[in-house]
Amino acid sequence: MSRISLVLTAATIAGALAAASGAAQGQTTSSLTSAQAMAALRAVQAYAKNDGTDPSLAVIDRDGNIVLELRGNGAAPHNIGLAERKAFTANTFKMKSIEWRDKTMPGKPDADQRNTPKAIPLGGGVPIVVGNEVVGAVGVSGTKGGQEGDTAGAQAGADAAAAAASSRPVAQN
Amino acid sequence: MDKLIRNLAVATLAVFAVGAAWALVQQLVKTATLQSLSGNDISVEQALLVAQGALDACKKDNPTVTVAVVDHEGDVRFLLRGDGASPEMVDAARRKAYTARTFRQATSAWLERTEMDAKDDAGKRIDLYGQRMLDGVIAEKGGIPLLWHADAIGGVGVSGSKSGETDEACAKAGADAIADQLF
Repeated sequence: MSRISLVLTAATIAGALAAASGAAQGQTTSSLTSAQAMAALRAVQAYAKNDGTDPSLAVIDRDGNIVLELRGNGAAPHNIGLAERKAFTANTFKMKSIEWRDKTMPGKPDADQRNTPKAIPLGGGVPIVVGNEVVGAVGVSGTKGGQEGDTAGAQAGADAAAAAASSRPVAQN
Repeated sequence: MDKLIRNLAVATLAVFAVGAAWALVQQLVKTATLQSLSGNDISVEQALLVAQGALDACKKDNPTVTVAVVDHEGDVRFLLRGDGASPEMVDAARRKAYTARTFRQATSAWLERTEMDAKDDAGKRIDLYGQRMLDGVIAEKGGIPLLWHADAIGGVGVSGSKSGETDEACAKAGADAIADQLF
């Protein structure tokens, strides 16, 4: 066998191995850190201070798992669960829950989406967008100004969480 | 005549005095029956201090831990999942905090009391194992009650550090962070 064909054979095997290992590789997704969630919390609290309210909030990651949960002083019993469902809605449909509410109004083509378990057509959930990717969401319940107010509070939180994003990979337990 | 006027005046005053006293009694009864319960509870601000205290104590040896703070009712006031923590750690932290709150003791102490063969000081079996079957509790170390006078008005739970012992040490540091506010 000539030297060239040896080199070619070796290159082919190396290429096949590389392809195989590529196929078996898991996908890498960016994760929402606790530091980002805390940044969201501080921003929502700053909004609430201005607002004179004490809202509840939830921050969830892209898989819908809770990263942070806070129940405001004197919150009504429904507030915390509602905050989580608003965040769930914004994350899974990749839009503000108030926009999803309008998009799924009875009579509209997407109205059946309201049957999605846990999703809720109420404003106050805002996705956290890093680059072009939704990496989680913030849900707020209990500000002044109803669904619009909750949306504004959640937007402040989502912006702060996106700004606190780091390219550093997150250590796994 | 003078005597009559004086008697009339005394009688009038007596009627007023009785009326006033009766009105006062009614007011007191009303206040007593309509009074709502008031109690002390863990605020958002305190919950954040507790969580920060626990995380600060933990972070040297354990980069990622999950911490939960529950209030007087055992409901979550604040919860923060550690980076990369598995979902069940969130549940574990919450349940540790709940268990410490509802049984008013560190979960390590509760674990000892609810063991199958746990005995009291007289050597008699106390058999509290059934408490472990309650909803929302967890038989793991890492939960500390937030005590005010003789009552638990909240709890803090930590999960995800090296061991149950270190979880509980971190939780204790969290409780200590507001100890000067609760006495």
